[in-house]
Amino acid sequence: MSTTAHKDEERPWFLAHHFDTVGQQVSSAKLGMWLFCCTEVLMFSGLFLAYFILRQMYPEMVLVASEELNKTAGGVNTIVLLTSSFTMALGVRAAQTNNQKALERNLLLTIACAFIFMIVKYFEYTSKIEHGFLPGNWYSAAEHGYMLPKYSRVFFGVYFTMTGLHGVHVLVGIGVLSWIFIRARRREFSSENYVAVECAGLYWHIVDLVWIFLFPLLYLVK
Amino acid sequence: MSVYLNGKLVEHPHEDHHHVSPVWQFTAVFIVLLFLTILTYLVSFAGLGAASLPVAMFVATIKASLVIAFFMHLFYEDRTFAFLFMTCFIFVAIFFTFVLFDMNATDAMNEEGGIQYKKSVEDDAAEADANRAFDAPGPAKSRY
Repeated sequence: MSTTAHKDEERPWFLAHHFDTVGQQVSSAKLGMWLFCCTEVLMFSGLFLAYFILRQMYPEMVLVASEELNKTAGGVNTIVLLTSSFTMALGVRAAQTNNQKALERNLLLTIACAFIFMIVKYFEYTSKIEHGFLPGNWYSAAEHGYMLPKYSRVFFGVYFTMTGLHGVHVLVGIGVLSWIFIRARRREFSSENYVAVECAGLYWHIVDLVWIFLFPLLYLVK
Repeated sequence: MSVYLNGKLVEHPHEDHHHVSPVWQFTAVFIVLLFLTILTYLVSFAGLGAASLPVAMFVATIKASLVIAFFMHLFYEDRTFAFLFMTCFIFVAIFFTFVLFDMNATDAMNEEGGIQYKKSVEDDAAEADANRAFDAPGPAKSRY
C-alpha cells in the first residue's frame, strides 16, 4: 500500500474520503440508486395490483368509467414524458463528453417537459373535479348528470391515487433536476464526475417507466 | 492495494472506463418509443376486446425494456445492477400471482362459509332501497 500522503495528492476533489477510488464511489452511488429504483417499483406495484383486483371484480365498471378519462391528454403527457427521458439521457451523455452547454440545455428541457406534464395534469384533474368524478365519498357524478356504473368512485379512487403519487414523483423530479442544474451551472460535473447527473437521470427514467404502464392501463383499457 | 468492485478484482483501480452511448442510439430508441405510443393510442380506438389488456401490457413491457436498457444504461452496466433490478420484478410477480390466486380462491370459500363481502352487502341494500322507492305510494322518488 502506498503512503497516505502520496495517495492524497492523487485524490480528485470530488472523491469522498471513505472511498479508495472514483470507480468505487460511482459503483456505490449507482448501487444505492438502483436499490431505490427497486423500492419505487415495489411501491407502485401495490397500486397496480389494486387496479388489477378492481378490474377483476368489476370489469364492466372499469371499462365504462375509464371512458371518462381524456385519452388525448394522457397521450400528450406520455409523449412529453418520453421526450423528457430522451433529453435526460442526452444530458447524461453531455456530462460524459464534457459538453457543458448541452448538459445545461438538456437539463432545462427535461425540467420544462416536467412542467408541461404537470400543467396538462392540472387541466385533467380540474375537469374530473368539475364533473364530480372524485374518489369515495366525494364522488358526485350523478349530481352533475353523469350516469356511471356503481362503484365508479372506486375507479376514480385508484385513478387519483396512482396518478397523484406519480405526480408527486414528477414534482420531486423537478426539484432534483433543478438541484442538478444549479450544480451543473457551477461546473461541478465533468467526464470524470457525473454520477449525480446519472443518478438523477435514473430517478427520472423510473418516473417515465411508471407512466408507461399507467397510461395504457388507466386511459386505454378498452 | 487491491480494489474490488461488485465482487471482482479491479486491475487498474485509478483508470476509469465509461461507456458512452452514441446519440443515434438514443434517437432510435426515442423514435421507437414514440411509434409504440402512437400505435397503442390508435389501436385503443379500434378496441381489441379481450386481447386489449395483454396487447397493451406487451407493448408497455417492450417500451419499459427499451427505457431500462438504453436510457437507464442498464445494458452496458455491470451485471450486478441488472441482477438487482430484475430480482425486484421477480418479487413483484410473486406478489401479483399469490394475491390474484387468493382473490379467485376465496370467493367460493366465502360463499360456502356464508361470509358476505362489503360489496354484496351494499348491493343488497341498494336493491332494497330501489324496491322501497318503487313500492312506496305517491310520486316516484329519484334514487339520486
